[in-house]
Amino acid sequence: MSSTGPRKALQIIGIVLAVYALLVATHKGEFWPFSIYPMFSQAGNPWTRAVVREVPPETTAESIDWSAVPFENVAGEPYPLAPKNINQNDVANYVSKTDDWTPGRVQGLRSLFTKNRTLTAPLLVYRVRGVLADDTVSVSATPVMLFAPDTTHLNPSPAARTPGSTVAESSAAK
Amino acid sequence: MSASSSRSFPLSLAPELFGDDAPETRGDRVYFRLLELFILVYAAWFCWDWGFYIQQNISSVLLPLGLANYVDVSLFFDHQVALINAGLVTLLGALGFFRLWRPAYLLALISFHFQYVARYSLGEISHGSNLIGMGVLGLGIALLAFRSESMRRRFTFGFLYFFIGLGYTSAAVSKLIGTGLYWPDGRHLLMWIGERKVDTLSKFGAFDPNVLQDLVLTDYRFGTAILLFGLFAEAVSFLMWWKSYRYPIVLLVVGMHIGIYFSMNIFFAASTYLLILLGLPWNRVIDALLSSDPSGEDRVASQKAPA
Repeated sequence: MSSTGPRKALQIIGIVLAVYALLVATHKGEFWPFSIYPMFSQAGNPWTRAVVREVPPETTAESIDWSAVPFENVAGEPYPLAPKNINQNDVANYVSKTDDWTPGRVQGLRSLFTKNRTLTAPLLVYRVRGVLADDTVSVSATPVMLFAPDTTHLNPSPAARTPGSTVAESSAAK
Repeated sequence: MSASSSRSFPLSLAPELFGDDAPETRGDRVYFRLLELFILVYAAWFCWDWGFYIQQNISSVLLPLGLANYVDVSLFFDHQVALINAGLVTLLGALGFFRLWRPAYLLALISFHFQYVARYSLGEISHGSNLIGMGVLGLGIALLAFRSESMRRRFTFGFLYFFIGLGYTSAAVSKLIGTGLYWPDGRHLLMWIGERKVDTLSKFGAFDPNVLQDLVLTDYRFGTAILLFGLFAEAVSFLMWWKSYRYPIVLLVVGMHIGIYFSMNIFFAASTYLLILLGLPWNRVIDALLSSDPSGEDRVASQKAPA
C-alpha cells in the first residue's frame, strides 16, 4: 500500500471532525449520528418521568384526586406500555417537556394511546418526580391528564400540569 | 509542545489508525465484509423498527432534531412513508454492499438520518444507534473516496476506532463539565436506579432490583465504585486510537456497557455488539478457521490469488 492512502484517510478524518464539531456546536450537542454524548452528565438533579394507570370505567374528571401523592399511592392498575408498543420515553418526554398544554400537545400525547387503536378503559397519566433527600430518593406523582375513550381532561390546576411549576411548588413548600 | 511536535501528532496517528504493513489475509477481508454486513443489517433493522413505530404512534413533532430543524418531517408519519424510507435504506445498503453504486451508502445515511429524526421527534434523544450511523458514514466515505478494497477496509476500521474513542471520551468530559469531579458520587446512581424503577414499572408493570442494584440501594458507596469505573473507562477510550492499547480499551468499554446494563437496566445492544466486533482480533480467528496453516504462508498465497 502506498503511503498516500493513510495520509488521505487522515485528511478525510480531519474534514469529518470539522463537520462534526460544527454541527454539534450549532445544534445543542446533537446532530445524529454526531453527538457529544451528554447522557448522564447532569448527575444528582431531580428527574421527571411518567407512568400510566388504567382506572375504572366509571372514573370521571370530578371523581379524581388531582393532587400529588407518594409514588406508592398512585390510583388504578398498571398499564404496561411495552406490550402496546408504546415507548416509555416518548410518554415521559411529553409529560416532562411540555410547558403549555396546547390542543396540539394534548392530541399528540393522546395519539400515542389512540392512533390505530381504541381505548377500552380510561387512562390516568401521572408525572413522576424524583429528588435526592438524605441519601434516599423521594418519589411523588401528580396526575396530569385523564384519557377517557371519547374525551380528554387536563389537571384543573394549571400550575400542577407542568414540570416547571412543580419545581416552583416544591421550592415554595420548603 | 512545539509547533513541529503538534503537527507530527496527527501524522503519527495515520499509521496507527490506517497503516498495516502486514500482507492482507483472507481473514482480514472476511472480517471486514462481516463487519460491513453487521452494520448494514443493524441499520436496516433500526429503520424498519422505527418505521413501524412511526406509523403506529407518532403524529406530531415535539422536539425537532438534526435536519428536522429545516425540513418538515411530519410527512413521515402517515401513508407508509416511513416504511418506504426503510425500504430505501435497505435497497441502498444492498447496492453498496455489492459495490453496484458508490454513493449508495452515503445516500442511505441521509435516509437513515431522516428516519431517526422522525422517530425521535417527541423529545427523546436516543444514542443507541449513533455508532451504527457512524459505521454507515465510515463505509460510505470509504466506498466513495477509495477504489482499493484494502484501503476501504483500513479506512473504515480506522474511522470507527477514531470516532468511537472520541465519542466515549467526549461523554466523560461532558460528565465532568455537567456535574464536576463529584460525578461518581454513588448517590447519583441511587437517583438513576430510582428513575429506572419508575420507567420499568411503566413499561412492564413490575420491577425487581437485581443483585447489583440491591447492593447499591443498601450502601450507595458501591455505586461510587461502579461510577468511578465507568468514568475511567470512558475517559481513557481515546487510547483505542493506538494499536497497542486498542483491544484492552475496547473491551474495557464493553465492560462498562455490561455495568450499565446491570446497574441501570439499560442495554446499548448495537453499540455493545459493534464494540465486541471491534475489540477482538477476529481476522486471526477467521484465518485460523479458514486455513490449516495460519502460520503465515497463507497470507502470501491469498495476496497472489487472482481476484
